[in-house]
This record gives sequence, C-alpha cells and structure tokens, in this order.
Amino acid sequence: MAAPPPFTDKEAAFLRALVDERVEFMVVGLAAAALQGAPAVTQDIDLWLADRSDPRFREALRKVGASYVPPSMNNPPLLVGGGTELFDIVVNMHGLGPFEQEVKRAIRIRLGDVEIPVLPLDRIIASKRATGRPKDRAILPALEDTLRTLRSRHKRDG
Amino acid sequence: MKLAAYRIRCMARARGLTLAKLLEHAGVSRTAYYSLARRPSVLPNSVHAIAGALGLHPVEILEEPSAVMDDTVAARIDEARAICEKEPRASFENVWHTLCLLASPPVERLNRSLTRGRTASIHG
Repeated sequence: MAAPPPFTDKEAAFLRALVDERVEFMVVGLAAAALQGAPAVTQDIDLWLADRSDPRFREALRKVGASYVPPSMNNPPLLVGGGTELFDIVVNMHGLGPFEQEVKRAIRIRLGDVEIPVLPLDRIIASKRATGRPKDRAILPALEDTLRTLRSRHKRDG
Repeated sequence: MKLAAYRIRCMARARGLTLAKLLEHAGVSRTAYYSLARRPSVLPNSVHAIAGALGLHPVEILEEPSAVMDDTVAARIDEARAICEKEPRASFENVWHTLCLLASPPVERLNRSLTRGRTASIHG
C-alpha cells in the first residue's frame, strides 16, 4: 500500500492557524518552488517569519498542539507536535531584502481551504544564487527553466 | 490488412456465438460485414499510399488511440517545444516537467516534491 502523502490535514491545519492568527510569514525554499510548478524535491516546508517572538505565532502553535523550540548552539529553531514536524523555521534568507520588503512581492497560493503567502520563484532563485552551496547551485537550472515556463505562460495568457 | 474472417468465426464460436449473433451484438449489418470481408484491405488507400511513400508497412504508421497521448498532452508537448525554441538555454525536460506539474493543483505538486524528498533527497 502506498504511504500517505506528507502534506495532510494536520499540516494544512497549522498553516490555517497561522493565517487565522494573522502571523506574518511566507513559505520559502524548494517547497515554495514546488508549489509554483518547479520539478524540485524537498524534505520540508520552510517558513520565513517576520518575528519568531510574535505572540500570534505562539497562539497558532497552541491551537494545533505544537511548540516552538528556540535555536541553541547545536540546533536550529524547531517546531514539535501537532503536525508541525514537516515545517522548518528559516532564520536568514541569503541574498534577499528584509522580510517586510520581500513579503510585499509574495504571491498567494491556495492549499486546500487556506490561501498562503509564498515567496515568488524569481526571489527563490536569487536566494539560491546567493547561498552558493553546491546543492543550491545544482537545482538552479531547473528553477530557471520553471521561471522561463511561467513567464512564457504569463505572456501567452496576458 | 484484410479482415480475418475465419479467425472471427472461430472466436465467435469459442464464445458460444454464431456469426449472425456476433454481428447483432456488434451492431454491424451482414451486408457491411461481407462487404468488408471481401475487400483486399480494410485500410483506406491513402494509408497504403503514405506507408508506401515511407517504405513502410501500413501497420507501422498506425497506433492505438491512447489515453495518455490525447490532445492535452500533444498541446503540452507543442508548448514545451515552443518555449525551448524561444529560450535556447532551457532544457526541454525541465520545461516539460513544469508544464505537467502546472496541470495539477498546488497541493499535489507539494506532496509530489515531499514524497520524492523522503525517498531520494538531493536538495534540502
């Protein structure tokens, strides 16, 4: 029997809680690229938050029975419980402006019954270029071709 | 390509049908059947002509109507080709995969990416 899909109602409930609590966030990284049609593979959904100490963020976590584990010397910030394990909290986005600036360009994508803000593909590419890590460089051609495809569609559809 | 009249009779008999009953089930008149059975080829002459011009047997230029290769897929292939013509640096494979993914809803695209990430993670 096939394994259940990773993104289930539990994960959707967490995103819905973030939206309902008006937490300022964006989906970034390769999950954001995949949502826009890129043939990219990832293990997690990266979330970029305007403010990790925002009480609305804590309330959204509480709603789904999850907790936030702040970063320490050895571990990055973590989310535990309530179907949040699939999500990673991103602290820095290389090569991009501050959150307040980038969020203005966010596109909104519907996932089930919730619409979420997503970093546009051209900004994901800018970020991947800036990090310069081999795994980021390796995925750049596929992301760039997806961007070419989206632009072609956009031009065609007006 | 001639109609295999003897084979049709045998197959009908194996299924407990007379030829008349088979034609009745198929909604084909006896006149139409015998007219077909008498023809040296059931394929239109134009199929033979095109195949002949290519130096091929008619069966080599025929294919089953496929559920996969429908108009949507053909249009997608054309679109991918057109994009790659305009964007010489683009890889047809990447463009093709993107167009296929764009045909499904975002949640399916995400699940596909995450599912593959679980089994063979290259990119984080």
